[in-house]
Amino acid sequence: MRAKLVVMVACAGLLLAVGQARAHHAFAAEFDVNKPLTLKGSLIKWEMVNPHSWFHVAVKEPDGKVTEWLIEGGSPNQLIRMGVTKNTVPIGTELTIEGYRAKDGGLKAVGRNFVLPDGSRLFLGGSAPGGTPGDKK
Amino acid sequence: MLLPATGAAQIAAPLARPAPAPKTAPTSGKPYTPPKTPDGQPDLQGFWTNSTYVPLERPQGVTKEVYTPAEAEAAMKAAAAREAEQTEPGTTADVHYDFTQFGLDRSQSTVAQSLRTSLIVDPPDGKIPALNAQGQKRAAERAAARKTAGGPYDSVQNMPIGSRCIIMGGSGPPMMNAGYNANYQIVQSPGYVMILTEMIHDVRIIPLDNRPQPASGLRQWVGVSRGHWEGNTLVVETTNFNGKNAFRGGSENMKVTERFTRVADDMIDYKFTIDDPATWDKTWSAQAPLAKTEGPIFEFACHETNYGIANILAGARAEDKQKADPAKKGSN
Amino acid sequence: MRNQFLTRVTVAAIATCVATAVALVTAQTGGYRAPRGPDGKPNLNGIWQAINSANYDIEAHSAAPSPVLELGASGAVPAGLGVVEGGTLPYTPEALKKRNENRANRLKLDPEVKCYLPGVPRATYMPFPFQIIQSQKHIMLIHEYAGAVRTIYMADQTEAPADSWMGWSNGRWEGESLVVDTKGFNDSSWFDRSGNFHSDALHVVERITARSADTLNYEVTVEDPKVFTRPWKMSMPLYRRVEPNAQILEFRCVEFVEDLLYGHLKKPPSQ
Repeated sequence: MRAKLVVMVACAGLLLAVGQARAHHAFAAEFDVNKPLTLKGSLIKWEMVNPHSWFHVAVKEPDGKVTEWLIEGGSPNQLIRMGVTKNTVPIGTELTIEGYRAKDGGLKAVGRNFVLPDGSRLFLGGSAPGGTPGDKK
Repeated sequence: MLLPATGAAQIAAPLARPAPAPKTAPTSGKPYTPPKTPDGQPDLQGFWTNSTYVPLERPQGVTKEVYTPAEAEAAMKAAAAREAEQTEPGTTADVHYDFTQFGLDRSQSTVAQSLRTSLIVDPPDGKIPALNAQGQKRAAERAAARKTAGGPYDSVQNMPIGSRCIIMGGSGPPMMNAGYNANYQIVQSPGYVMILTEMIHDVRIIPLDNRPQPASGLRQWVGVSRGHWEGNTLVVETTNFNGKNAFRGGSENMKVTERFTRVADDMIDYKFTIDDPATWDKTWSAQAPLAKTEGPIFEFACHETNYGIANILAGARAEDKQKADPAKKGSN
Repeated sequence: MRNQFLTRVTVAAIATCVATAVALVTAQTGGYRAPRGPDGKPNLNGIWQAINSANYDIEAHSAAPSPVLELGASGAVPAGLGVVEGGTLPYTPEALKKRNENRANRLKLDPEVKCYLPGVPRATYMPFPFQIIQSQKHIMLIHEYAGAVRTIYMADQTEAPADSWMGWSNGRWEGESLVVDTKGFNDSSWFDRSGNFHSDALHVVERITARSADTLNYEVTVEDPKVFTRPWKMSMPLYRRVEPNAQILEFRCVEFVEDLLYGHLKKPPSQ
């Protein structure tokens, strides 16, 4: 079973040879696997851009100061085909974001999960899967 | 088909749109006659996808050319399950947005699945032929050049061409499955077929007037394409590649021949042949159907908002600093 | 007797009426009626290009030195009569300040320098050809510069789902003219190299009309209440690229600007 998995991944790797978008490797270069985080904040703006969209989120720090974080998400193009528009996620939407912090130290992260106050995930994928980054399974 | 402006209540519910069942090529029945464009070309127009779970090369341990429908479904389900697996927190794979959340998992949109065990149809073993001596020499030279260039994040030029937003594999030719947003829009006008590849808003305009290929001084990432109709099949020949992203180790003198035939209202049969004597001693071919899918194709402006490049390079430089002076805590 | 007189007058009146109508049509289109394509519409298919200095500055301007010393006369700016009707752009006072700041810092700020998509209408008068591919449901504009693409929806029309560089275009035919209504722009493109700019409220209406077998009239109305005090217009002819085998080539300029954008993040050579 393990051997088969390796072969399938290798095939996928071939498909990815010409710089494909599912480039996990590049993300692990941009964000630090050793710096998992959970942010709670309200949406300032969802930049619906490519190759990856960016959520601008106002996060209240423990000392009461509000900082603006930039959280990387996926291309909006398929969501647009499914009916999502720039009006779908209202400004001010409260979000809990689980992800990993940028390696360059800025107020940036990649969002593994974007979770709404009722526990459901933004857009698709039903409820948030159990566990947060950093938990050992 | 837009949603009306929504409030928070609506976005709490996941967008309910079941992924359409994968489309497979028709296997029997009377031959299909495609509709015609106003100027009399067989009509290939519309939105199409080559998203598929079929690999280019036949997997190790598989000897048959074609699965039974049950086997194909099982293979596809296994591949889909692997992609949908939740990544483990604290692993490299987890350092990524979740494709499923953005509808970017293959299973969440139309899949152009065939029963084949590989896209490659020739040679019969379903594998890319071995490189000839010239091809091996070139591969060694490229590997050496990569080594000299340094680490993968020493400079933007060391990063993959797709990450740099120059061109992605969906453009081709030949056009390969892009992993997500694997969509095309075909529009025809008298004397031309236009193919728009979603990523990166890349257009090939194929003239049908038998004009000659340009002189060898002009070379392009997508080569230069010339097309003509053979009955209901559009035959496109492409040369004049610049060799900078040569398909599977090929040379700049590769010739790619593509054949597009509409075999059903919702399917185009797409075949390509690679002819590159500077790399392989024989031609090889693959078949990768295009299934009808939904638009629109939103502008994939890539370079303009490619913040990741600057982030990655800055992160790498921060790590370099950290390594050079570990006594200093990394801070910004 | 009376009937004959009436008949002559009526005929004369009709003749005058027709002559006036023809004169009006002539004034608008120069009397040219484009051949119809197989779709029954004016055939605008082809490869087209503007020949003017609008991309340097859409307002009237003198010739000027190159912003880059080493380019000498090669990088210098040709003069232009301007393509803006009325001459001057109707900026609000704050917007005019921003335009002038843009202009003073144009090497750093002009999106063209960074190989960013050119927006509309700038894409039309970049010094590169573009091709019109005309079908019933979609009319595509494919620009050589940066491979910029515009989809004009002639059917299945919707509003822009999100902002983009080239906007979201809905088109319709009005007699001889293709009328393209575009909204959904981001605020990042410029109208030229001289800092003329817009906001994300930009609304552009273009009218494209054949004026001869090998030329088009291109008329544009620009509206942006966040930047301008009123709508304004520009117009110019577009010329067909008539050489045999004319085609849109690659100007994939991302490669050409990578060191400019990211060179400062390169790993320094080891000591």
